[in-house]
Amino acid sequence: MSGSGFLGNIVIVGCGRLGSSLANRLSQAGSRVVIIDRSRSSFSLLEPGFSGFRVTGDAAERNVLVEASIQEADCLIAATEKDTLNLMVAQVARHVFSVPKVLARVYDPKRETVFLDAGIEIVSPTRLMVDTFLAAVRARQESA
Amino acid sequence: MSPSRYRSFLLRRYRSFAGYLGVLLCIIGLITLCPAGLVLLYPAEMGIGHRFLWPGLLLASTGWLLWKCFRPSPDTVLSIAEGSIIVVFAWCSAILAGAVPFRLSGMDWTRALFEATSGWTTTGLSVVDIEKASPLILFHRSLMQLAGGAGLAVLMLSSMAGPPGVGLSAAEGREEQLVPHVRHSARMVLTLYGLYAFLGTAALKIAGMEWFDAVNHAFSAISTGGFSTHTESIAFWDSPGIEAVLIVLMMLGSINFLTAYTLSRGYGQPVMRNGEIRTATVVLGVSMLVLFFGVTGLAYHDTSRGIRTAVFQAVAALSTTGFAIVDFPAWNALGWLVIITLMLIGGGAGSTAGGIKQHRLYLLFRLLRRQVMVALLPRYSVSEESVWVGKHRLFLGEHDLWRPTAYIGLYLLGWLAGGCALAALGLPLADSLFEFASALGTVGLSTGLTSAASPEGQLWIQIAGMILGRLEFFVLFWGLAKFLRDLPALVGL
Repeated sequence: MSGSGFLGNIVIVGCGRLGSSLANRLSQAGSRVVIIDRSRSSFSLLEPGFSGFRVTGDAAERNVLVEASIQEADCLIAATEKDTLNLMVAQVARHVFSVPKVLARVYDPKRETVFLDAGIEIVSPTRLMVDTFLAAVRARQESA
Repeated sequence: MSPSRYRSFLLRRYRSFAGYLGVLLCIIGLITLCPAGLVLLYPAEMGIGHRFLWPGLLLASTGWLLWKCFRPSPDTVLSIAEGSIIVVFAWCSAILAGAVPFRLSGMDWTRALFEATSGWTTTGLSVVDIEKASPLILFHRSLMQLAGGAGLAVLMLSSMAGPPGVGLSAAEGREEQLVPHVRHSARMVLTLYGLYAFLGTAALKIAGMEWFDAVNHAFSAISTGGFSTHTESIAFWDSPGIEAVLIVLMMLGSINFLTAYTLSRGYGQPVMRNGEIRTATVVLGVSMLVLFFGVTGLAYHDTSRGIRTAVFQAVAALSTTGFAIVDFPAWNALGWLVIITLMLIGGGAGSTAGGIKQHRLYLLFRLLRRQVMVALLPRYSVSEESVWVGKHRLFLGEHDLWRPTAYIGLYLLGWLAGGCALAALGLPLADSLFEFASALGTVGLSTGLTSAASPEGQLWIQIAGMILGRLEFFVLFWGLAKFLRDLPALVGL
């Protein structure tokens, strides 16, 4: 894994399974990654090859985002378990700190429009799964 | 895991170590080669150029072969123990290769190895007759210090390769990064270091040195090494301007690169809160006052000279550079005591300096203060110590506070053991303790005990001290312990 990494400063909020995997891959590919999580023990999901910074704190607080150098960030990924927290962090990043690219994970399809209206790009695991299931079902119908 | 599978796993790991070691050897070989290029400027020295060519070429080609044969896959990640093995082997090879030019110039192996160790570890104790040495040899000494100070080879590897750099940089004493990627961080340290050396050379030239001396002294000041091109060291010039420039360079060399970077980005406040900066300020202030009122003010009737020597020697000792503008035997016991203490404390972590390191001393102070304060707090109160690193505030667990204490204990024991070993060889006790503090802290100040005429036993004890001090004990222990533990399985026992 080398070469085509996103070369820039990336802030990732939430060091769960999604956040840590993203952080590991991006850091190994050469990006400058800062990852934020509320509990220090979450950082154990990061691999030894991760060479970014770890910030412990609640990303809903402005100071924590500042400590993660959000002013210099080219991209922020809100990847916590909570849609509401993701929305809040993403909005702060987009409108207070003017981060050029802001992505968020949204579980609940009903909330998607809120994010889109705020100018935030979204990835919806629910929608992705629905699409995949439907595609699988259709493929079965066609072959039958 | 069955023994045979474990063995094949180990072999695969060690193949990738050999690959990375190959890159390091290649870089070290090229560094050893460099002084030979100086024959272009000094055609009269043509006859000794080959003394650098052979060891350099041999090491570089060995490294290149290792890299070609065992090229590791790019996502191999090294742990700190594995990084330590590579670092220890690289250091041994560097010292051996660095010793060859001295050996070919007519020194015996012990003295050649001593000089090379003193160079790579940025100590600055010397057994070379400087006045008679060729400019190529002098440049070789300074270049070793420049390269050894920042762990140049490891830094260059980290700046090229990504992931393996984490374990390697940590093993080389550079676990704090300037920016959130090991490769970018290593590149920045390289740039900063190069900038220091370049500006230092220019400043020394302006202050009145010849170009050759300026280059050599900038290299050995910024790496906190302390080799000089004159037997009298800095006293040769007797110039306040040159001393002032050197003081700045030594300070820069002994400040954590992260702190310097934070300051250069304009974050003043976190730097003022930095424990190392505070420790250095207090320690330097107090020791300069004690030196002036207790030693130099009495020894020299000229007050300005008293102040100059007090300030310069305090900085030279604390930054573990070891330039000298005085003869220490002429100083009283108080002066020796202050200098020994400064040499033991040493510079900042993540800098080019040696010694116990200021951040450990600061943490010890915080731990002691905490022990007192905890007794005064309510029984169920929760509190956490924090320190400022770079522009971030870091909270410390109990473990983080106790670990430096263990290191300080080990360091002082090691110092005592080495000092006693020197005394056991029949040297005066005070001189022995001074000289071993100087070796272990990679300082290079001497009471005159270390010279070409020193007995072999003394030199070997000092070699051991310099290596232990530079690799901060544990890297050597980790590297050797891991290697010796894996060795039986590797050879198939």
